[in-house]
Amino acid sequence: MADSLAPACTPLKQEYDSCFNLWFEGYLEPTLANATETSRKAHYARKAEEFEAKCGKVYKEYQACLQGAVKERGIEPMLQQAREEHPLKEAPPLLPKEKK
Amino acid sequence: MKFFATTYHYDDPWSIVTLAFFLRYPNPYASHVLSCDVVSRSVSPSGTLLTTRLILKRGAMPRWFPKGIVTRAESWVVEETEVDPIGRVVSCKTRNLDHVKIMQVEESVVFKSLPDGRTLQHTEARVRSAFGWGLTKRIEAHGLSKFKANMQRSREGVSLVLQLLRQSRLQPLGLGPESTLSLPAPPPSSPVGPSDSGTPTPDCRTQNTWSSRLKSWLRRA
Repeated sequence: MADSLAPACTPLKQEYDSCFNLWFEGYLEPTLANATETSRKAHYARKAEEFEAKCGKVYKEYQACLQGAVKERGIEPMLQQAREEHPLKEAPPLLPKEKK
Repeated sequence: MKFFATTYHYDDPWSIVTLAFFLRYPNPYASHVLSCDVVSRSVSPSGTLLTTRLILKRGAMPRWFPKGIVTRAESWVVEETEVDPIGRVVSCKTRNLDHVKIMQVEESVVFKSLPDGRTLQHTEARVRSAFGWGLTKRIEAHGLSKFKANMQRSREGVSLVLQLLRQSRLQPLGLGPESTLSLPAPPPSSPVGPSDSGTPTPDCRTQNTWSSRLKSWLRRA
């Protein structure tokens, strides 16, 4: 739980990290060894909903704080470019509120 | 371009290694990490977790590097991670966003669950310089040797966090006194020369901060 790039966002960041870490431990648990594809998908869809319900609010607050700081520091164009050249197979969908 | 690849085994299962990897900042081996933020996170339709983090790292230029070109010895790094809980694989790609003409370092780390319960870590690095002035090769060689030294420290950082996680799972938390989680001895000071101040020298003050933060989270769990 390192500090945020903007000291003003650090408390929100840490609150969010704590929430995420608790959820993440459960998400990593090996389950459904003999589960079907469909039930697996349903399981992880439920996990995603659970995450949204538990940590969604503090995540939005943290992101709102962070986005202001990222703009102020002029990191945004650099970050945007890096996101476009995303090295992962599946590009993470940008949350609607992340768009300017 | 310089390329480097290596593998390493953790004796711990994949889920705890993955957790430690996500929790690795801050730790006393990573005092060069100034900040770390999540800029995007989502669960994909296939159930994998995608995370983008923006990290600010403090570095240092080697003594032989021309003065006045880099005024700010800090670098923004973007880290893209995909966690696949079904296939038990984490893949993580990291690269610096600034100073890229001087040196671009791309790191790729994969953590895979092994049938014997251990975890395999495979690391690859590509170091590229487009600096010119007869320094390209020297910059790449320097970047690679620093990468190797930092990789060792990063592994020690993950191992330290792993140790705390292991202890926390053996003991019922929230019941015992604060002192039940014992910390390992502070790591030895950095073995590299003064020009490499980007390689962190562990600091007891930061150790207290990071461990109490981690412990307070473990207690909540």
